[in-house]
Amino acid sequence: MKALARKSWPVAAGLVTFVAVTALLFGRATPSVTGFFAMLWKGAFGDGYALSETLVKATPTLWCALAVAVPAQLGLVSIGAEGQMYAGAIAGAGAVFLFPHQPAWLLLPLMLAAAALSGGCWGSAAGWLKARFGINETVVSMLQNFIAINLLEYLIHGPWIAANSGNWPETAEFPQAAILPPIVAGLRTHVGIFGAVAAAAALWFVARHTRSGLGGIMEASAVQNRLESAFLQGYGISGYLVSWLAGHDFLLIVPMALVMGAILTSADTLQLNAALPASSAIIIQGVLFTCILGWTSFVRSRR
Amino acid sequence: MTIVQTGADLLISALRSSTPMAFALCGEIMGERAGVVNIGIEGEMLVGAATAFAVTAVSGSPWVGLLAGAAAGAVLSVVHGVLCLVCRANQIASGVAVLALGAGCSSYFGTPYVGRQITSFAPFTLPGASPGVAAVLRAVSPTMVLGLAVPLALGVLLFMTRTGLRWRAVGEAPAAARLLGINVSAYRWTAILLCGVLAGLGGGALSVDYAKGWSEGMTTGRGLVAIGLVVMTRWNPLWTTPVAMIFGAAESLSLSIQSRGVGVSPYLLALFPYLTPLVILALHARFSRRQGTMPASLADILQLGA
Repeated sequence: MKALARKSWPVAAGLVTFVAVTALLFGRATPSVTGFFAMLWKGAFGDGYALSETLVKATPTLWCALAVAVPAQLGLVSIGAEGQMYAGAIAGAGAVFLFPHQPAWLLLPLMLAAAALSGGCWGSAAGWLKARFGINETVVSMLQNFIAINLLEYLIHGPWIAANSGNWPETAEFPQAAILPPIVAGLRTHVGIFGAVAAAAALWFVARHTRSGLGGIMEASAVQNRLESAFLQGYGISGYLVSWLAGHDFLLIVPMALVMGAILTSADTLQLNAALPASSAIIIQGVLFTCILGWTSFVRSRR
Repeated sequence: MTIVQTGADLLISALRSSTPMAFALCGEIMGERAGVVNIGIEGEMLVGAATAFAVTAVSGSPWVGLLAGAAAGAVLSVVHGVLCLVCRANQIASGVAVLALGAGCSSYFGTPYVGRQITSFAPFTLPGASPGVAAVLRAVSPTMVLGLAVPLALGVLLFMTRTGLRWRAVGEAPAAARLLGINVSAYRWTAILLCGVLAGLGGGALSVDYAKGWSEGMTTGRGLVAIGLVVMTRWNPLWTTPVAMIFGAAESLSLSIQSRGVGVSPYLLALFPYLTPLVILALHARFSRRQGTMPASLADILQLGA
């Protein structure tokens, strides 16, 4: 108990600092500061829809965080989860567009396998360059993010653009058979969250190699039902923060990803109700990470 | 158009593209020479770009804007300094925090300025110059000149002064430097702030001079590419200009192919500035014999050999 208290008080101090800084930055957007945090809470957990959205946003975050945590446990610093997600999404969608008329029992596994393979190859390119040439894997994984994003943009502006989109850069909608089923009809929560949690649990048992390619195609299939421009933007950073805050621990990552999903969802609410721009979500994440990183490192270094 | 003129045009446009990158490279080199890696440089560039543009739009003076951008970069770098030097946090993690803060804040406060017009620097003129020389002068901007001068100044500082010797000692062997009475954390604070100033200047050069506009995330990874290219400069500011030109040439080439209406998707052409450094880094690692130039204390941070 005492050990737990000693470990958790820096985190608590970080959270208090986070609340104070956030209140200072955004408190003015609502009539009262408590109202602001009430709005955050209601936006993330207030009703079934909010809860569903939180899970929807937690899912790719969780996959990304796992993709950071696995190399981190091997001593590698990867910031390439976002690029791996795009690579997975592209390959998964490619499989769907190649075989659009297959039944769901065939198409879904095919799509997921293509995505996982592609995300894996994309991720291991950084590993290969490190092993073969000794190039820093952090730098390569960052460069790869921009390459993957531009590849996606090329596809959705060019070869894969939907015939009826009126030049809006998006692909045709996926066929019904390629859409991951929602958990509750009408809400956007999809079975991908089970996959992500299962992966976290499996990794906890056997620390093995995973790739985040799966996360990308699941988001595309279940949430967007197609590929759009920059639809995964920011999940890479969120995943990195989650993995770090959890100390790259596969089990701690799950609740941390939920917290991050809640932050992302309530930021959407802020956008609607308090007219704050979408970038507040990134600032809130940055402040949270800064506060907790600062306090935990400070306490550790003085011990 | 003569061949000389076309060559000069290409060179100048590559130089113009590479200027923001040159500032960022200088910042990262000076930081790493003192033993501080800063991934947040991308965020510092973004904050610098947004601030420089906004202040230029309000004050009407690009010079005031550029100064404000440098100041904004320095302010954000204080976060990196506190996390790394006071809290002793992992430098990579701290950099990612700074990156997120910079991206978020620049977008948050920069939104009202998207699409605003500014008056940038007046072109250089020289009375009585021949048309060719006048054209070259018109194409050169103050930030380009600054971007060429800063690496020279930093090279002199780092390799020809006592301060530079201590600066390098702090990055090479902090424990030994401390025994010699060098204030390691003062040098590291200076390095972090200088890196912030240079990143902010780079961002300002991008928004005020190069693009003459502000848009969210407009640095498109320049800071991150700079971190990769530092290896090729061998942590020597004097190599900044040619190395930054790799990115600059790739970018200006892809832009000029695009503007000639070649039937290739602009998004495929946009891969060029990222693929080129990747390929060159691989070639460099393959064929370079001198790998031992990295400041020694960085090895722990980058977990080399782990």
